[in-house]
Amino acid sequence: MKFAKLTLAMALVSGLAACEGGQIGPDKGLDRGFDAKDLSQLRAGIWVDPNGCDHWIIDDGVEGYLSARLDKYGKPVCSGAAPANVATGPFKGGSTFAIGDPL
Amino acid sequence: MADIMTKALRAIMKGAAIASLGAIAIASTASAQQYGYGTATGIAGAVQGVATGTTRTVLGERYIPNIWVDPDGCEHWVMDDGVEGYMTPHTNRQGIPVCRRGNVCGVMNSDQFFATDSFHISGAGKQQLANFFRSSSASAYIIAGHTDSRASDAYNMRLSYNRAASVANVARSTGARVADVRGYGERMPRASNGTRQGMAQNRRVEIICIR
Repeated sequence: MKFAKLTLAMALVSGLAACEGGQIGPDKGLDRGFDAKDLSQLRAGIWVDPNGCDHWIIDDGVEGYLSARLDKYGKPVCSGAAPANVATGPFKGGSTFAIGDPL
Repeated sequence: MADIMTKALRAIMKGAAIASLGAIAIASTASAQQYGYGTATGIAGAVQGVATGTTRTVLGERYIPNIWVDPDGCEHWVMDDGVEGYMTPHTNRQGIPVCRRGNVCGVMNSDQFFATDSFHISGAGKQQLANFFRSSSASAYIIAGHTDSRASDAYNMRLSYNRAASVANVARSTGARVADVRGYGERMPRASNGTRQGMAQNRRVEIICIR
């Protein structure tokens, strides 16, 4: 029984790896697997860093993205949208991963 | 039992180490023979040395990004490598973000609000500005002053900052949140300083709206 469970778990894990990982070639501009889409469709929220400055945060199911919010002069935008170390907005809205993000 | 497990584990790890060594060896031979990028694993690329004219071999893997446009309208490089995701702002080589639209929601013509060399705003000017900030729906503002190229750079840096600070004071008086106040002096011209009209366009205070 134990063995059967282990085999099932192993099969599940390798199945996951085949979907989300594996060899996907040089074009990294697509999200493959369960919630496949073009990466231009991601929905972001704001994460405020310990200095009070904004970053775009996206929780896309298995993948997570973080990138600085800059103004037209290339300086960080520190808008005060939220206190430091807080993430706000619809940043978990982009993924349609059925199983959901365990974290 | 524990002993057997460790032995088995060691054997597996040894095997994995040998396997990865093999991959590296394959990769390096591939790089020596094929110039350009491969398509499978252990990819190598040859780069023409610009300065020397010699060929330099780079061990690497092709990572072609997509572009994600943030809610401000600015571009980011984004890559999905299976389970990992990566993102970084798309800037030019001067560090200026590449954006498809701007967030400048107001450009104040300095001639209209300030006397020459002054950063004082008249009562009527303050009223006009206050109306702007009260009617705007932005959650915060970045205020940046600019001048034309007459007078010294240091003087213009100071004057443009003081003018931006005057505007920021009006913004704060209406309860608006000011994220930053800056003076760029003559360093970020919008038009040529060679003509009178160009210089007039460069004398300005920009208000960036953050939503």
